Amino acid sequence: MRKIFVICNFLLAIICSVMAQSAFDEANTAYAEGRYEEAAKGYEALLAEQPDEVLYYNLGNARYKQGELAQAILNYERALRLKPNYKDAKYNLAFAQSRITDNINEQDFFLSSWARTIRNSLNESTWMILSIVLFIFTLVGVLLFLLSRELWLRKTAFHVAWIALLFSLVSGLNAASLHKRDSLRNEAIITQGVVNAKSSPDRSGTDLFTLHEGTKVTIRETLSEWANVHVGSNEGWIRLTCLERI
Amino acid sequence: MKYRLSIFILFIGMALSAYADEVVFRAQAPKQVVVGRPFQLTYTVNQRSRDLRAPEFTDFDVLAGPYTSTSSSTSFVNGHRSSSFTQTYTYTLMGQKAGTFTISPATVKVDGENVQSNGVRIQVLPEDEQPAAQSSGQTSPDTQSSQSSQGSQGTSISSENLFVRTIASKTRVHEQEALMITYKLYFANVDVAQLTNNTKLPEFTGFLKQELEQGEIQTELEHYNGRNYQTAVLYRTILYPQHSGDITIEPARFEAVLRVQTRSQVRSIFDDFFGSYTNVTKMLTAPGATIHVAALPSGKPAGFSGGVGKFTLTPSISQTEVQTNDAITIKLDITGAGNMKLLKTPAIDWPEGFEPYDPKVTNNFNTTTAGVSGTKSIEYLAIPRSAGEYTIPSVKFSYFDIDEKAYKTLSTPEYTVRVKRGAGDVSSPSSEEKGVYYPQKEDIKQLGTDIRYIDTKPLKVTSHKSQIIHYNYLWLFYVVPLAIALVLLIVLRKQIKENSDVTRVRYKRANKVAQKRLRSAAAAMKANDSNAFYAAIEQAAWTYLSDRLSIPTADLNKENIASILAKKGVSEALIKDVMNVLSTAEFARYAPSTDHAMDDLYAATTNLINQLENEKI
Repeated sequence: MRKIFVICNFLLAIICSVMAQSAFDEANTAYAEGRYEEAAKGYEALLAEQPDEVLYYNLGNARYKQGELAQAILNYERALRLKPNYKDAKYNLAFAQSRITDNINEQDFFLSSWARTIRNSLNESTWMILSIVLFIFTLVGVLLFLLSRELWLRKTAFHVAWIALLFSLVSGLNAASLHKRDSLRNEAIITQGVVNAKSSPDRSGTDLFTLHEGTKVTIRETLSEWANVHVGSNEGWIRLTCLERI
Repeated sequence: MKYRLSIFILFIGMALSAYADEVVFRAQAPKQVVVGRPFQLTYTVNQRSRDLRAPEFTDFDVLAGPYTSTSSSTSFVNGHRSSSFTQTYTYTLMGQKAGTFTISPATVKVDGENVQSNGVRIQVLPEDEQPAAQSSGQTSPDTQSSQSSQGSQGTSISSENLFVRTIASKTRVHEQEALMITYKLYFANVDVAQLTNNTKLPEFTGFLKQELEQGEIQTELEHYNGRNYQTAVLYRTILYPQHSGDITIEPARFEAVLRVQTRSQVRSIFDDFFGSYTNVTKMLTAPGATIHVAALPSGKPAGFSGGVGKFTLTPSISQTEVQTNDAITIKLDITGAGNMKLLKTPAIDWPEGFEPYDPKVTNNFNTTTAGVSGTKSIEYLAIPRSAGEYTIPSVKFSYFDIDEKAYKTLSTPEYTVRVKRGAGDVSSPSSEEKGVYYPQKEDIKQLGTDIRYIDTKPLKVTSHKSQIIHYNYLWLFYVVPLAIALVLLIVLRKQIKENSDVTRVRYKRANKVAQKRLRSAAAAMKANDSNAFYAAIEQAAWTYLSDRLSIPTADLNKENIASILAKKGVSEALIKDVMNVLSTAEFARYAPSTDHAMDDLYAATTNLINQLENEKI
């Protein structure tokens, strides 16, 4: 009985994947023939079942071809969340970002932007595994250092151990940072063409600055239908309908 | 259907024919008459008619009539024959008393059908009070002119007989409130041939002037200051005072040409018959006027732009659901009366993302004696450049209501406009509007840039989990290796310690053990037991080397010993000695020799152990 169930499950999975592949091919054909809306619908339907970086990337392309810059950027970002070293997605994201209106000057210290770049270069699971492997290296190094009688071996083991420990810590922190980012989902893309950030979360608030579609913002907090967003050195309230979380 | 249509066509034909032969029956009489002066009331019909039933002329005396006359004409124009027919009934009437009277309609029979005319309103003016003017009491205009010709020129062209009045419709107005200035020529008993162009009108400084269209000059009878005058409006203008206070209008000057009969010395019959006239120009001055202008009350609303009058606002928007780059038009119709020309165009505060154009203003004004009225249509055109939902704020238009003497504010509703991305954006996604320009490079000619193509590799079956390792068990991946490492450390350490302890003990006790063996060797030598001696010596040497060099018994042989000793920096001579002793002891064991040999070997071994003891191994 159990066996039959397992076999059925397995068959179902195969059928599903085959169907998904055919839907994917169909959407790709639509894209190739310039029916971008249809292609986008196809990718979206597939994404509803299961997130996949390729689907996000292709959806982003379809949206870009429709002229929906904000949606394109959003989907490239999502693809890069799943696969940080996705070269095509990186290229197209940069391309789409070169077309948005807002030029956000990040006033960050260069080290923190480096740190972010390094953090974003791998995904969370990779960082985690790296951290664990490095930790095991550290342990091996410590054991060698403590047990070996050979001086050179002890020296080498000592250096390997502390370097590995350091990198293990860094990897762990990166993984934790990515986990926090993905669980909070506090990064968002402006989807409305033009939106004015207000000084307070209501319509009567003073307009502080103007954002255009496609700009990436950080959500600090939300209050009913308003979000307190942070862009560069600016901070203001924007309605939640004007943006979409990555 | 066809049947119906034919009937319809038939009706149209009948209507047309009826229109062509439409009976026109009109009554005509002068608007103003003087009491006791006969005038003519005529009824004209354009078809043969009979049986005129005139109303009762209760307020008028019927002097004569009705006289009937007919006239007809036929003309060919471009082969078209057109004919006209007129039948006229004429009454000669005379006013009994001053006032305004209405003559009710008359009826006439045309082809057996009763046709009704229009009614006529006649203003009967009183007689001239001062019979000083020669015309008084005269019944015929012919005699009047002859009378005037007989009278002296000087008296007939007096300021009483000929003057221009300045008539202001209002003298107390608010700022921007319309008033009309009329220059009216009054004349009696003089023959005004024409007015020259030598007219000097005041500047009307302090006013906005809106001239009324002047048609042909028509004369009317008017009773003024007890006399009946022929009057003619020379000039009319609507004025809008531009500031408060008393504003003075300067006098105006007109020049009239009068026909005056000449007094010729030689009077012939022809002179009398044809008359001989000369034209005399006369300067006429209209008096000035002062207008008292009251300032608009305080408390002007924010959107007040100087409008005074009475207005209504009709806003409309072309569409509220548009695509990008499709124009939106908001139209404001300001309808009413007042200083329309001075109305400022209210501004629309378009939201960001809209590209507004200059509003198009269409003025459709009529200037009447009541002022300027009409419609000012303002079309605001804006093109949304980005998608989204936008709110166009309401436009406020304030004015001063002249009837209620209060400020009024009109406003348009707030419009919510949903802008979708237009189809035009798809092909070239906002390339020029976003202002993205790529510099032309010289070395590589870039023909265009685009995103990379989609990924068409087959989909992976692997399901994407956000993380492979669940956070709840993550700590295990650190703790378990750590625990393993600790256990390993403890176990290995213990073993190493044990090992090192054995070695050290052996090392430390090496000499002692060797001496012990040497003593037993010495005892064997005394007892002359060569076998035991050699065995003891050999054991002493081997055990000593094994302990001292920490070589396990299994690995114990001469080559090993030699190499380890060499590695530990023991001199070649000593190594040779060690080899010598070992081989001698081995050899002697199987081939016993002399006593001397035993002594020698014993000494060599003792010496060797002492030497090795001193070496740092």
